[in-house]
Amino acid sequence: MDEKYSNNVLSGGQLGMVEVPNSRLTRYLVLLIITKILKALGVFESYDILKVVHIVQFIFILKFGSALILLFFQKPFSSGKVISKRQWIKLLKHSIFSCVISLLGFFGLTLCGPLRTLLLFEHSDVVVIALLGVLFTSSGGGPSKTRGAALFIIAVICLLLFDNDDLMAKMAEHPEGHHDSALTHFLYTTIAFLGLADHKGGVVLLVVSLCLKVGFHTAARKLSVELGGAKRLYALDNLVSSVVLLPWVIILSFTTESKVDSWSTLILPFAMIIVSLMILEFYVEAICNAKMEVQRCARYGSFALFSSALLLANFWTHPLTDQLRSMSKPLQGNSTEHVLSSGVLVSAIFFIMSSSILSSPSRKGQKGTLVGYSPEGTPLYNFMGDALQHTSQSLPRFIKDSLKQILEEYDSRQIFYFLCLNLAFTFVELFYGVWTNSLGLISDGFHMLFDCSALVLGLFAALMTRWKATRIFSYGYGRVEILSGFINGLFLMVIAFFVFMESVTRLVDPPNINTDMLTPVSVGGLLVNLVGICAFSHAHSHGGKSCSGHDHGHSHHGHSHADQGHGGHGHSHGGHGHGGHGHGGHGHSHSSGGGGMNANMRGVYLHVLADTLGSVGVIISTILIRQFGWLIADPICSLFIATLIFLSVIPLLKDACEVLLLRIPPEHEKELNNALHKIEKIEGVLSFRDPHFWRHSASVVAGTIHLQVMLDVVEQRIVQQVTAILKDAGVNNLSVQVEKDAYFQHMSGLSNGFQDILIMTQQMESLKHMNDGTCIM
Amino acid sequence: MLPLSVKDDEYKPAKFSLLLKLSGWIRSILSDKTSRNLFFFLCLNLSFAFVELSYGIWSNSLGLISDSFHMFFDCTALLAGLAASVVSRWRSNDSFSYGYVRAEVIGGFVNGLFLVFTAFFIFSEGVERALEPPDVHHERLLPVSVAGLAVNLVGIFVFQHGGSGHGHSHGPSQGHGHSHSLFNGAAGHSHHGQGGHSHNEQGGHSHHGHEGHSHHGHEGHSHHGHGGHSHHEDHDAFEDEHRPGSGKQILQGVLLHIVADTLGSVGVIISALLMQNYDLMIADPICSMLIAVLIGVSVVPLLRESVGILMQRTPPSLDRDLPQCYQRVQQLQGVYSVQHPHFWTLCSDVYVGTLKVAVAPDADARWILSQTHGIFTQVGVRQLYVQIEPAAM
Repeated sequence: MDEKYSNNVLSGGQLGMVEVPNSRLTRYLVLLIITKILKALGVFESYDILKVVHIVQFIFILKFGSALILLFFQKPFSSGKVISKRQWIKLLKHSIFSCVISLLGFFGLTLCGPLRTLLLFEHSDVVVIALLGVLFTSSGGGPSKTRGAALFIIAVICLLLFDNDDLMAKMAEHPEGHHDSALTHFLYTTIAFLGLADHKGGVVLLVVSLCLKVGFHTAARKLSVELGGAKRLYALDNLVSSVVLLPWVIILSFTTESKVDSWSTLILPFAMIIVSLMILEFYVEAICNAKMEVQRCARYGSFALFSSALLLANFWTHPLTDQLRSMSKPLQGNSTEHVLSSGVLVSAIFFIMSSSILSSPSRKGQKGTLVGYSPEGTPLYNFMGDALQHTSQSLPRFIKDSLKQILEEYDSRQIFYFLCLNLAFTFVELFYGVWTNSLGLISDGFHMLFDCSALVLGLFAALMTRWKATRIFSYGYGRVEILSGFINGLFLMVIAFFVFMESVTRLVDPPNINTDMLTPVSVGGLLVNLVGICAFSHAHSHGGKSCSGHDHGHSHHGHSHADQGHGGHGHSHGGHGHGGHGHGGHGHSHSSGGGGMNANMRGVYLHVLADTLGSVGVIISTILIRQFGWLIADPICSLFIATLIFLSVIPLLKDACEVLLLRIPPEHEKELNNALHKIEKIEGVLSFRDPHFWRHSASVVAGTIHLQVMLDVVEQRIVQQVTAILKDAGVNNLSVQVEKDAYFQHMSGLSNGFQDILIMTQQMESLKHMNDGTCIM
Repeated sequence: MLPLSVKDDEYKPAKFSLLLKLSGWIRSILSDKTSRNLFFFLCLNLSFAFVELSYGIWSNSLGLISDSFHMFFDCTALLAGLAASVVSRWRSNDSFSYGYVRAEVIGGFVNGLFLVFTAFFIFSEGVERALEPPDVHHERLLPVSVAGLAVNLVGIFVFQHGGSGHGHSHGPSQGHGHSHSLFNGAAGHSHHGQGGHSHNEQGGHSHHGHEGHSHHGHEGHSHHGHGGHSHHEDHDAFEDEHRPGSGKQILQGVLLHIVADTLGSVGVIISALLMQNYDLMIADPICSMLIAVLIGVSVVPLLRESVGILMQRTPPSLDRDLPQCYQRVQQLQGVYSVQHPHFWTLCSDVYVGTLKVAVAPDADARWILSQTHGIFTQVGVRQLYVQIEPAAM
């Protein structure tokens, strides 16, 4: 395999940057990804080996082995220019540096474990340079790069602060204790001197050495040009560093006794590490950099590396992989492995995102507004101002803009405030839950977040409704609010359905309910929801009652996950949720009475009302259970509430369905009928045909009509009259087709007619068109 | 020349009697082949769910009861499809001037949404179980999932060979339903077996629930796919009766869906094998998450299409042709410009368009009108409203 790759490298190196069609690039991509996976494997393997082999010996073996292979392939002495004495000295410095960096890197590996090392240390140079550019220069390359850098920093901070690793804690207990060698002892004391815990020291060490590595690579470019190619330099560098390390290794092997039982068992893993970590990775990276853009290479490579590292970290300690590894792995007594924590997961995701953002090339924006069609029929766009300059909007400005949009209008403002209230409560609940380590509170919080999705949907729809019409959506986005109301209604129905089922289950087998902390929470929830109802039904502001809102959220949560089986807590939740739904039904009747609300707001309102009545249901059933011990009260309450929700959602769904089915707006139906009668009486109008009127959104009622008129009237006058009449009836987007000719009526009548005649017409039309084409063009 | 409305109560419920209403519905369901198939399939599912529920109540097994509820939920999607297929055949009346043809789009949309909900629930359970892998009883898993795979393969085969064969498409959906119920029976039994202790012990209970749910969810999902399938099949047939050319896109979406199902059953088989042979308990949640993602991904095209139709989007199939049509209209003698073009989809393959054409004062309006109609009829717009406006000079 090596031979094949090295041949490729040679040819690639000679040709330089070659333009390769996209389909051929996939080959290199697959190669790159496989290499990265192998590399991740190699790092995990070397972490295992480093437990028994001293770090300096390990690095020496790596360097020496790869130097042997590279010497064989590259032949640095027999080919190329003769190296002068000055260059030898430079090479010596270079390799000392590379030794130090790999020493730091592998020491970080022993401290942090393979996954964290891969995440921190194995970033491509492009990414790090872009990151440093953003951090330390004024022109970082736009807001997207800034975002990437922010993500990167967050990821590092996640690793530092939120990564609770048992093994690391264990190691941190004896940071200044006895260590195998003077070197590790020195590093340990340095870290301890800096006042950092052991594993956090490892993270910092890795970040520093990553920066060093990138600087080193950049500095090495000049030397590689002098020496005649990066590959020759790499080969020589490995050789020289192994020579540099040799005395140290000799001294070490005399002064300390080796922990290794038999070196022969280590040959296979070492060979694997050398090939995957040192040789294969270097060559494949070189090919891919030559064939593709460096950025793309970095993006795919880091993605493959990080995800395979995550997978490996999950499965490395599994018995199955242990079985597989047992043939190549030295036996070891204690299995102290680094575990996957949520902090690591989050930071891995952030690292992947940031490296893909940082390595993505900045593109030109292509957003313009449609102006119209050119005579040739191609759409014309208007590129204004920053449409050409910005690849992506800066995040703060985007937030500011959308906030402004949200606050502009009453509907979205109400939803937004209530959403903030809910979210604030959710986070307080989550934090409190994490703090007190209460599973019930945490899962409640997550259910609350889930509930918030309805609010988010409503908010988004309220925003989207105001988007301008585009070429594709020629009527504008007004229908989003109807769709959102429809989806919200369906959502409530699904919830009601599950609550119903749950309560039937409970009816069969009433559970024991723990009512201790129920009442205060549900009373609070009730208050909060009442605030929400007020906010949505009246135009008042409700700043002061946020704490009750919190309580509300809490009780609400409890309800939804009753079936999870958290014991008393869950049950009380179930009852609560039901109650909430029942309230929804109530709210609905309320809202329909109010009138004038659009479907979106109605959906959101229903949701809030469902929650409110839910808390009432919980309170009632709690009281009944406490006072009289009627355990059956809870499921009955739930059943009742579910039914109420169901019934209350039906009108909303029905209305939304009617709009979606293009019904004539019921509130305009009478006027439209009158208008049609009036149209028939207009002088010169014979008849009309195919009148279609439908509500497109809250503000737009569209209509189309065919008119047959006498031959001698002025069309324009009739169109104007009809438009005026229908506008009075509420239609504000009308098109009138005026027909004068009996033949034409017949022809257009075919358009909603029968298949065979249609085919005939089509043939006729195509013939006609050919004739026209000749006469026009 | 056409009457403004057709008063036709044949498909509409009579107002006075519930019995008449019911018989009318049933007659209209049975009058069409696809909705009949859908109906029988629904009946099968429902009766099974009821048997399960009553047996669960009788034997007081929580697992069976919750399983049957999940089945009911699955049935609602089927019901939505059935209702849509019946409603879409109603004639147009005064209020609904376009008729009820859009019901099929709404039915597809609702089905898609339910699938998304299902996928979401499966995914969240998968995450829960990934954090805390339960013991899964995998004894009966393998034969059931193999049967599901076979059924899905048949479905794929049928779909790739001609979408018009109703009899064929009916066959697999029945068979599939069968396997579904078989599966549920197996899961239910296992629940029942452990029912006694699962009650008191929270962990045990949730495990059982999970097992039944996720696999059931999977199976139910494929069953959804079939429901959607026959639904779409139905409306394709409906289209076929009226107009040439069928909506390939929805068919493709359904095929995609079934492929996702097949991959899902492959996933279940793999996870069952892994669990049996290597005790890799993590395989099960990972597989169910994968299945959920597949369901979600496969639903996206269907949802996007139906949302586009419901939002009066310009039909994607006309996207390319329309600019050429505008160009040709503008080249007609006397036409100055084309304004306010609105084109949208009524139901699959029925396109409606409105257009305002500014013409010279002396242009021949009739000729322009008929030419414009001709131009747009060729690309498939069958209902066109052209408003001719003499440009102010």
